[in-house]
Amino acid sequence: MNPFRAIKGPRLGTKLMLLGLTLLIVPWFSYRQLVEMERLLIQGQSHAQLLTAEGISTLFNGREDLFNDLPVNIEDFENLYAHPLQNPVRMDGKLDDWGEELADQLLHFGSEETGADGDFELLLGERGGLLHVFMRITDANPIYRNPDYLRLDNADHVRLNFIKADGEDGRINITLPQPGVITAYEMDTNWRFAETGNPTNEVQGFFETTPEGYHLEFRLPLSRLGSSRYFGVSFVDVDDPETREVVAITQTLPTAGKESFNLVVLRSPELLNIIQGLGYSGARILVIDSEKRVRAETGSSLTVVTESAPPSAFRAFRLIFQEIRPFIHWITTFEEWQPIRSPPEASEEIADAAITASLAGNPISLRRSISEFNEIIIAAHPIVSRDAVIGTVVVEQNIDEILSFQRSALEEVILLSILSLFAVFIALLAFAGRLAWRIRNLRREASAAIDQYGRLRTSFLQSEITAGDEIGDLARSVSNMLSKLHQHNTFLENMPRTLRHEINNPLNTLSTSLQNLAEENPEVRDSKYLASAQRGVARIGSIVQNLADAANLEESLQAEELEIVDIDQFLNSYVANCRLTHPECEFVYRGPGHKVHAEVADYRIEQLLDKIVDNAIDFHRANSSIRIQLDTHHDDLQITVANRGPMLPAKAESSLFDSMVSHRGPQNRLHFGLGLYVVRIIAEYHGGFVRAINLADGSGVAIMVQLPVVEQQFEPAVAERIIPDVAAR
Amino acid sequence: MAKTIAIVEDDPDQRANYTDAITLKGYKVVAYSNREEALAGFEQSLPDLVILDIILGEEVDAGFQLCRDLLARAPSLPVIFLTERINEIDKISGLRLGAWDYLPKPISLDYLAERISSLLRINEVRAENAETESPTAKRIGALMLDQDALLASWQNERIDLSGTEFRMLAKLVRMPGHAVSYETLMNATMQSLVTNNTINTHMRNIRKKFEKVDPDFAAIKSEYGFGYRWSN
Repeated sequence: MNPFRAIKGPRLGTKLMLLGLTLLIVPWFSYRQLVEMERLLIQGQSHAQLLTAEGISTLFNGREDLFNDLPVNIEDFENLYAHPLQNPVRMDGKLDDWGEELADQLLHFGSEETGADGDFELLLGERGGLLHVFMRITDANPIYRNPDYLRLDNADHVRLNFIKADGEDGRINITLPQPGVITAYEMDTNWRFAETGNPTNEVQGFFETTPEGYHLEFRLPLSRLGSSRYFGVSFVDVDDPETREVVAITQTLPTAGKESFNLVVLRSPELLNIIQGLGYSGARILVIDSEKRVRAETGSSLTVVTESAPPSAFRAFRLIFQEIRPFIHWITTFEEWQPIRSPPEASEEIADAAITASLAGNPISLRRSISEFNEIIIAAHPIVSRDAVIGTVVVEQNIDEILSFQRSALEEVILLSILSLFAVFIALLAFAGRLAWRIRNLRREASAAIDQYGRLRTSFLQSEITAGDEIGDLARSVSNMLSKLHQHNTFLENMPRTLRHEINNPLNTLSTSLQNLAEENPEVRDSKYLASAQRGVARIGSIVQNLADAANLEESLQAEELEIVDIDQFLNSYVANCRLTHPECEFVYRGPGHKVHAEVADYRIEQLLDKIVDNAIDFHRANSSIRIQLDTHHDDLQITVANRGPMLPAKAESSLFDSMVSHRGPQNRLHFGLGLYVVRIIAEYHGGFVRAINLADGSGVAIMVQLPVVEQQFEPAVAERIIPDVAAR
Repeated sequence: MAKTIAIVEDDPDQRANYTDAITLKGYKVVAYSNREEALAGFEQSLPDLVILDIILGEEVDAGFQLCRDLLARAPSLPVIFLTERINEIDKISGLRLGAWDYLPKPISLDYLAERISSLLRINEVRAENAETESPTAKRIGALMLDQDALLASWQNERIDLSGTEFRMLAKLVRMPGHAVSYETLMNATMQSLVTNNTINTHMRNIRKKFEKVDPDFAAIKSEYGFGYRWSN
């Protein structure tokens, strides 16, 4: 056996499936493309934002005047931030019209613990060139101003100190005569007496008394403060109505006694005016000065894209996808999956880094996440004036749209890839199955076209002949081959007959010539040469006859009439006759002891036995008996002819019953290997088969013929004829 | 007066051999090589016996056609087919046409000569006493054999047997009830190449001819592995 036969290549279906795996390249490429696209989109977005920032910054380039309204050096000052007020504010001592977002922006001054006497909370606002101030003062013993006293420092009051536009110190005392409108006076350097007798009307305000103290609201023109906007607020508390001594002064100024002020920081309305028109959807624009103070702001980047709720199956898929995305990412890009989002805590640092870098003169854009699902891009571009950076423009934009687009595209790609892979696999499977089925059919039919003895059974194929593809071509060419082979076979089968036909004439010439020769020349009649020539002629005649008979055997078998015969009787008679015709041999017959009927052509079975017995006689050891036995098994009968003698060569068993195969050796030239071939053809014609085996004890050979049995209920009339009558002879 | 034997054979060597051999036996021989030639010859005079090859040149059935033409002209003319076509079907169609014998090649010339003289004698006998029972007739039960006229009848019904079949039957009934071996029967055919199978074929044909007359005919019994036996 060929050892390589065990190692077979994969079947057709497996091969196609493996080929189908190459389709995985499609999602792989798609994923890579999407990742690349996301990168490009974000890069483009960053670039666009940077361009926007640059464009805006060019508007401010060289406009130092817009930034110079604040001192450059602010380290020495406490900033008081004046919030821009969106709506007009009424002077009523109430905070409700300042806007909700400012309600918790109050700054606390005074003791560490809130609620101590003399503490206050402060909120500054700015609108229309007016500085609005709201104070919530804690004072358990409110002492109103007594109009009888000329001195203004013997009751609760609020002091404003600032530097006027002309550079001189400004001092204003806001007195609280009784709940309601306030009165303000310009003061002397000692804060004791008013500079003039009349109150100043630049400061207008209102206060009311609460159980905790005062709510005070007032406003004054920003122009009073000049461009430097040094400004300070302090509350002077007087608790004893008799002595009217100052108990405490709570101030916003640094506690050190030096002459310093707070700084009022304002958004620059001019900057705001410029950028307001530039704001676009989803973007926030900030102008920041070199001291990292926000000077103008417009728009909001905090747009949360409300995604329409996807169907639940899709959501489940999305969750699964989020789980497997790092794996997919790793497979496709061979890189570790890193969500680019930084935690929101780190985002302030990123923003700060961007601004710092920009103020150093480098345009920059960074990604920053502001919540779990929102990411923004920060682009910052410096504003320059005379080679110095005077500020930066920051453009922030939410990129959630891009990201969610990418996410859903990814999900679609994966989902479609899986579906299409599945569909392609099914299609490939079906295709491969059908292909394999067709090829198997073709193979089965093609191999059935030739029987185990190599004879053609059919001259054409039926399956796949009409198919238009390569399998059809194969079938047609095999069919074509078969029909050519059939033609050739027919020629070969007719060969013996043609040969006999052609040889008989010259043979007859030869034979008659020899006879005439002998007749004409009586002296050669006894010549040994004439005798050998005549033997040769007879031999050629018998060869040709045998060949033709064997070739015609199957054809002539078809003409035989079958009769029902008792094989037991038949064999009894046959063996008895064998003893007469071959007295030199001993024959032993063992029958089953009952009738065994078979439908046979008796002469042919006789011919079959003749050949087998001839064979047995030729090979039997002298003085040994030839045993003939009849057995029945179920639907078959078995005739065994066994003789003692040489065993069959191992290779002979399969070819013994083939035509023209003889294992007798070269000395037996009269045998053409036709005898056992005839046996096989006759046995097969009767629906049986023949085989030869070596006897188990190695003493000889048995040839077994198996034939189908006929269940015979009545005694057939024809069988009468074959009752043996050995005694009559 | 010497009898005239016509030989139709396309092979010149064989034709010459037959001619020589038969002339030697004292017959007058006319030889033809094809059908037209033979027909032309027969137009002029009919021979006493005709030996026909079936295949003449390109015509594969020329012998059969000639046989038909001749027997149409002279129904009692003995015709022998001497041919290499020895298939069963050819043999049957030849005998059906009315030929007296069908001899396969290669042939023994002595046997051929004997057949010729035998058939000529039979023809003479038949011509002399067509309906009377011949003194040479032999009766075995229901079977009657006339060796000279080569006539057989069963239960007084005529059985048409070929020459070979007649000789085999005669051999078989010589010792009724005794088995006759294949070898003996082969000798009876007087042919050089005979197998058991040939004997079986002849015997089956004989049986069939008897069965046509008598469906219960069972006098010829097979002795498998040995031969045949005639038993009444």
